[in-house]
Amino acid sequence: MLPELLKDVEAGGLLIIQDSVRYSGRQLLKSFVKAALNREETVHFIGFEFSEDELRDGLKGPFAKRLHIHSAFTDPLGWTDHPVFTVHQFNAEEITHLIKQTSHASAVTLVIDSLSWILRHVSPSVFCRTLQQLRKGGAVRAIVGLLHADMHQKGIVGSVCHLATSVITVAPGMKAEEAEAKITKRSKSGKVLQDEEIFVIKEDLSVIVQGKSHQTEPIQTGPEEQKMDPTANLTFNLRLSDAERQAKENLSLPFVFSKEKKTALLHSGPSSGRILYEPDENDDYDQEDPDDDLDV
Amino acid sequence: MYTELNSILNTSPESFTKGDFILLSDKQSDASFLIHHFLSFYLRAKCKVCFLAMVQSFSHYSTVSQRLGVSLAQAKEKGQLVFLEGLQESLSILIPQDEHTGSQAMNFLRDPKLGLQDLYEFVSSKVKRSCGGEAESEEWGPPVLLVDDLSVLLTLGVTVGAVLDFSHYCQATICSKLQGNMVMLVRCDQEEDEGDNESPACLLKGLTHQSSLTLDVQGLPTGYCRDIHGQVEVCWQRRQGDGQNTQNKLFQYKVHDKGASFFARGTSSAVL
Repeated sequence: MLPELLKDVEAGGLLIIQDSVRYSGRQLLKSFVKAALNREETVHFIGFEFSEDELRDGLKGPFAKRLHIHSAFTDPLGWTDHPVFTVHQFNAEEITHLIKQTSHASAVTLVIDSLSWILRHVSPSVFCRTLQQLRKGGAVRAIVGLLHADMHQKGIVGSVCHLATSVITVAPGMKAEEAEAKITKRSKSGKVLQDEEIFVIKEDLSVIVQGKSHQTEPIQTGPEEQKMDPTANLTFNLRLSDAERQAKENLSLPFVFSKEKKTALLHSGPSSGRILYEPDENDDYDQEDPDDDLDV
Repeated sequence: MYTELNSILNTSPESFTKGDFILLSDKQSDASFLIHHFLSFYLRAKCKVCFLAMVQSFSHYSTVSQRLGVSLAQAKEKGQLVFLEGLQESLSILIPQDEHTGSQAMNFLRDPKLGLQDLYEFVSSKVKRSCGGEAESEEWGPPVLLVDDLSVLLTLGVTVGAVLDFSHYCQATICSKLQGNMVMLVRCDQEEDEGDNESPACLLKGLTHQSSLTLDVQGLPTGYCRDIHGQVEVCWQRRQGDGQNTQNKLFQYKVHDKGASFFARGTSSAVL
């Protein structure tokens, strides 16, 4: 499902990449940017966590002029005199104005790195309202954002992801280069699709899906190997000669209830005690016939 | 400077990656021996060091550094080391005397809600002066900021958000613009509480997202040991310049009088 999402984030859609300290989703975010640029779309990138040079790294090429980076890295709070973009400018009017200034006719994808930065300074309700206004506003075709899920409380993460049409949660994979992605996609009809995939991001930011993730490794069903003799190649002897094998089979085990034991118990020997029993009339009390006069 | 740690991190005073944000953390253990390592490392590398020492006095660091072969007093005189002694500065704010108004850096003590903008301005002014083009400052290398430690700011009433903003601005100025390095220590003692937004664990997570290299110091899971003082986990958070994803490494260490030794798990000299 990951390649389909890379090919096209649907119009009016919000795609959120959730990551954690164990694995950073930034490379995947850049893959989405590159895929959008390759589709001849204009990308407006609001970057809080990385400088512009680091963001452009890997995104050079002929399409680079369609990538507009609004760097909020150097001064996101307006502490100096000349901030490029501050977190207080994150509202629908300012962003729409920013996009209209530089955009061409092509569809605009807005990419935000990261949503967590904004959530630290803006209340969640205002933030969600801004995102929703941007989606419905028409200036932006689709929004892709990176969210650090372990930096916020679960409720906030849940509320923001509730707005999203697709959520990709990334985690480190078993091998060094691989990563696991859990994808949830909500289509317009209301249907929810979920998938788990293992992927690798190459140097050129292309994503290669290696397959579905397994909980357990599949059992090897190759040709059955010959049964190995465990008694071979030892420094001591574990094999039995024929006489030894005979003696082993003749041995009766102590707690097995064999025929011989049964007869021995039933016909007790002379040394064992004997029990003499004479039936007593009082023992013959029949519940259903207490007077013992029924002819049954 | 511990030579074994240098080989683990693949650095040396002659060649080290610039623009790095190194995060030191500890949990029920003491990672301050790493602060002494980086302090002596960067002084030997002839970098201009700005040290915000919030928890110990100048003489403490001076004594330990002398055992590691570096003289802090000399570095301070030459102008290589800018030392902000948090304990002394805070006294001058908490007990104001007429003659001495105290530097603006610790203004957050007056009102923690103000945040750490003044502290950032202090750091930025000290660090920028080294790149101002003056003749005598050209002999020093890229600027380095050392902070010991950040979690004490949380106990003084500063919010996690304000500390994260401070480290963000420092990173933008020192690591990105001036291509210097930053080393910060965070100490977490409690178990993480899901609902608590202001705990050191939350601060640690936020800083880990910003950092390029983390060194996490913990005690041994089996308890106290005389010969092994704990374990250090080294994680590279960002891809190296050539795109390699370096693997995380786990080592055990022992702190001596004049240094610390690092070894792979199970290979302590007391055990072998």
